[in-house]
Amino acid sequence: MSAPVGEVVGRIAEVLRRPVAAVQFDTELAAIAPDSFVLVEMVIELQDEFGVRFEHDDMAGLHTVGDVVALVERRRVS
Amino acid sequence: MTAPDDIASDEEPFDGPSALDDPTVVLPVPAPGRPGLAPARSTMGDTQRWLLSFYRTSEISGALFFGRLARAQRPGPIQQDLTHHFADEAQHARYWTDCLTELDTEPLKLGVAYQDQYLAAAGLPANLMEVLAITSVFERRVINQYARHLTVPELEPAVTRTLTRIMQDERWHISWVRQALKNMSAEYGRDTVKAAVRRFERADREVYAATISEHEERVSFILDRAGSAR
Repeated sequence: MSAPVGEVVGRIAEVLRRPVAAVQFDTELAAIAPDSFVLVEMVIELQDEFGVRFEHDDMAGLHTVGDVVALVERRRVS
Repeated sequence: MTAPDDIASDEEPFDGPSALDDPTVVLPVPAPGRPGLAPARSTMGDTQRWLLSFYRTSEISGALFFGRLARAQRPGPIQQDLTHHFADEAQHARYWTDCLTELDTEPLKLGVAYQDQYLAAAGLPANLMEVLAITSVFERRVINQYARHLTVPELEPAVTRTLTRIMQDERWHISWVRQALKNMSAEYGRDTVKAAVRRFERADREVYAATISEHEERVSFILDRAGSAR
């Protein structure tokens, strides 16, 4: 079962403390995360929230919000 | 006081190499540099002030990092230990502030903590196991650095006292993280956990070498003094 895209985007916005409007699919994570610690929190939070687990190889492909959403969806169905 | 040999005798997580046994990793942790400091006995005042401020900044960053992790966890044993861990790190920052005050100086505001470079080199941890793997490597780096600092002759009592006090907590940090990683081996696979630890150890050596190189003038004193004390 895939996670509603809006929920994932909303959670990302919440963890990064950004308005949802500022968190678009093509938004670069580096542009909205104040530091890498926040990204770690986001990664852990999303896995807990949506019951998925990311693997090491997944991380290299995470550049935008859309990448994160796609990863959550992929892990939800795998 | 926790001696380096005591640390080295600890069981290494997942058979990973110990930073203490690696001659290329001269010191560990948060920051290098050193000290001498103090008013009357030393001409290294600025250097020591920088190093102790570096430690302090690293501890603050550690507290914030583990605080974020604790917040992201559901209530349970891991969150409990993470909460304990970030409380310790915050206290350590306070100890360094108190130490600097006792040495009649003030902390420097340093922009970037050691951990910031760490994640840049190691890459983003993918899951909680990887976060703990990088933590285990980092904590060993820290305690080894503090142990190395303790071998510098004629340390001010305030510095010795602070290092010793913090190292007691650091030993618990290493212990709980090691146990958590062992517990996670069943879920993630022992080989996967070991591979993560080794990957982060490589990153650790890279960052440490870069840090030493960048701050060579500040750290050479502690390296030289500690080396001559052995």
